[in-house]
Amino acid sequence: MVHVLGVNIPDNQLARFALTHIYGIGPKVSQRLCARLQVHDKCKIRDLTASQVTSLTAFLSSPTTAPPLARFPLASPDYEPPPADTPLAQLQQPVPPKSTRPPPRKAGNRFHADPLIGLKIETDLRREVRENIAHQRMIGSYVGRRHAMGLPVRGQNTQSNAKTAKKLNKLDRW
Amino acid sequence: MRPSLAVLSGRSAWKGPYFVSFPNLREALQNNVPIKTQARSCTILPNFVGIKFQVHNGKEFIDVQVTQDMIGHKLGEFAHTKKRFTYRQTKNK
Repeated sequence: MVHVLGVNIPDNQLARFALTHIYGIGPKVSQRLCARLQVHDKCKIRDLTASQVTSLTAFLSSPTTAPPLARFPLASPDYEPPPADTPLAQLQQPVPPKSTRPPPRKAGNRFHADPLIGLKIETDLRREVRENIAHQRMIGSYVGRRHAMGLPVRGQNTQSNAKTAKKLNKLDRW
Repeated sequence: MRPSLAVLSGRSAWKGPYFVSFPNLREALQNNVPIKTQARSCTILPNFVGIKFQVHNGKEFIDVQVTQDMIGHKLGEFAHTKKRFTYRQTKNK
């Protein structure tokens, strides 16, 4: 068992599926996280190195203040890989900056911004959801009222079923 | 593809929010006269704040006092159209 921010992550699952046990991380975000940490597709949680686990925890604890991604430029066709006995630490070093590098990506540009920068998980996300419901209730809108009644919000039928809404729609959800 | 703003929640950005231009807006703000309307789908704009609306719910006009927090919502969200069922012994009471 690996504990990340108080969540148990099962050991014997693929990393990209196991990470979805964290509230707020689905399959897509999980894939992006794996790509960021350079975890390969078939890697299970028990095969993660200690540094990968710590960097995962460090990233998830504060995604907004995470250091920018190391950039690895594409190899040219005539690239020859370093010999097999090169130490791993040397291979994993980020490429030194060049003058031809494009300017750093700004968060405002939605096409180039880091998609994981605004990631909200667990307590933060739950608080956001709760605040949104409280806002709707405070201004007295239909959505807030339906939450208070524990009924579906978006016009679904209520003659039968509506089980999910009855289970989840509350003013204080968590 | 034109980018759409998140605040419009699915509506194209070039259209802007849907709203009805009320001719008596200034007068309503100054004299605190309620605006009677059936435009439930009109988005609440920032210059509606402080105005009292009477929004139709299909049967009668419901008083809605617009506050700062309501901006971006629709007028109809605040005039509920359904009544909770309550059992009554006789209909003529």
